[in-house]
Amino acid sequence: MNWRPRSSLALLTLALGAAAAGWVRGEVYQEADAFVAEVFGTVPAPKVLWLTKDIQAQAAAILGHPPAQLRQRYWSDAHKSVWILEEIGKEELITAGFVVADGRIDHVRVLVYRESRGQEVRYPSFLKQFKGAKLAQGARLDREIDGIAGATLSVGAMERMARLALFFDRMSRQ
Amino acid sequence: MKKSSLGVALAAAFAAAPAFGQATVDQKLQILQQEIDDLKAQARRSAAPTQQASPYSLDYGSMLDRSSGLASGGTHVVGYGEVGYGKFRRSGDATADLQRFVFGFNHRFDERLTFHSEVEFEHAVVSKADEGEAEIEQAWLNYKMSDAVNLKGGLFLIPLGILNETHEPPTYYGVMRNQVETRIIPTTWRELGAGVHGVVGEGLRYDVGITTSFDSGKLDERTTGIRSAHQEGQQANARDLAVYGALNYRRPGLLVGGGVFTGNTGQNGVSNSALQGVSARLTLWDVHAQYRVGGLDLQGLYAAGTLGDADKVTAAILAAAPTPADAFAAPKTLKGGYVQAAYHVYKRGNFDLAPFVRYERIDIKQQEDPANGQLQDPNNIERVKTIGVNFWVHPQVVLKADVQRYATDKSQDRFNLGLGFMF
Repeated sequence: MNWRPRSSLALLTLALGAAAAGWVRGEVYQEADAFVAEVFGTVPAPKVLWLTKDIQAQAAAILGHPPAQLRQRYWSDAHKSVWILEEIGKEELITAGFVVADGRIDHVRVLVYRESRGQEVRYPSFLKQFKGAKLAQGARLDREIDGIAGATLSVGAMERMARLALFFDRMSRQ
Repeated sequence: MKKSSLGVALAAAFAAAPAFGQATVDQKLQILQQEIDDLKAQARRSAAPTQQASPYSLDYGSMLDRSSGLASGGTHVVGYGEVGYGKFRRSGDATADLQRFVFGFNHRFDERLTFHSEVEFEHAVVSKADEGEAEIEQAWLNYKMSDAVNLKGGLFLIPLGILNETHEPPTYYGVMRNQVETRIIPTTWRELGAGVHGVVGEGLRYDVGITTSFDSGKLDERTTGIRSAHQEGQQANARDLAVYGALNYRRPGLLVGGGVFTGNTGQNGVSNSALQGVSARLTLWDVHAQYRVGGLDLQGLYAAGTLGDADKVTAAILAAAPTPADAFAAPKTLKGGYVQAAYHVYKRGNFDLAPFVRYERIDIKQQEDPANGQLQDPNNIERVKTIGVNFWVHPQVVLKADVQRYATDKSQDRFNLGLGFMF
């Protein structure tokens, strides 16, 4: 096609219109406080899991790299615990909330997704696969998580965080 | 944050110790930790008032030291590469090659604006006397307004097919990239331009834009369809532009999508004066699907295209060639497809073993000019069978082996070994 100012203007108008429509939707899907409050009704006092050398070693085995933190804040009652974790997908951190009840994943939510591709990991159709998952031998999940084409690394990050949340929950109850 | 402020705060925290009453050591530590977190947050704000760190990384004590992934200022290095060995059945010849090594710098300017790049080196050595190439595969800026709306501009990949946008070796089967997404869709295919993309609904990704087009005057390969006419952002003739659009629906285990690209390619004869005033419109499109369930991994793709004024393009190639033997008939219609099946037979830890089979058909019809000796090249009608195995020793590192049989150009029958990685 030859360069046509009219068609280019129309495309630009379309882009800006779409942009205006989408402006209100940000990448922070839910604040962590709101997520915790949703689980417990109110935000309870946080607790802290100290990452001893042994815990650090096991967390490193799960993540494939040493954990960046020396302590992990969490919220819990007698049955369930909430963990806000962050892990790099391809190159940016994904922030996700994990609810663990009686040693199994109760539900998962992506709170912040920063990369320009791979947002499909935040949809319920993907996250519902984690419901009921528990740690199996080798600190792996007891099930296969179906991936999303083009979002392999983000899927891997979500799976690693789920395993870490289950492991931290186990450690917090010892 | 001044050290004195930290000291005062810590002193204040210790001074408040009597208020703890019979608080345990753990409780005291938690209170002190809260103080430290607050002070770190304050320090971060004071040090970089224009940079908003992820609130979660501070308030929830998880990634205090991983600044690279925060809202601004992060620069990441990414890369991938592959090494291949091929032994040809008929000739007995064998080659080993560092097929490509690619690295890229991605930078986040702020919460919304990012830069993405890839620099590729092919065949290890780049010099006048060698086969190697150095090229910019991508260099584009993305402005994220929301998940639903991203604006991009620069040199970016055209969203046709599966392989063009996702071509890191651990993400596909076989040592060699499939022929359909090499000769019909010219992977790795990038253009200079601007576009809008995003995800709407639950998993429907769109991508539309306007870019540079091909230049038919640059056609110089007879068996790769329109591939040799793409301009790759290298002083591209841009009198004729193109538009593209793609839709892809993704959910766990499933990908269904397609795309179209269309634009004139005559470029007013800048590269070949015989094409002055010739439109030579090129249209390429594809549909594809991928389904993964359990250990089964199925994939299929169909791509097709047409080049208008192919008779004039053939005449232009003939006019520019030193001799008729150096010329060839321009592609007129292109179509091809493949089906592929793999099964993950062994998974333990990071190890993952998956045998696969793939069947491809390629049909590139050329605009013949019998009077001048320009005829259809039989190698443009091809069938390729590939059977092999991928073995991932890590999700990002793969070993590959396969056997390929060509129905037409049997000199290409071969056994391949490969090693691929991405980070």
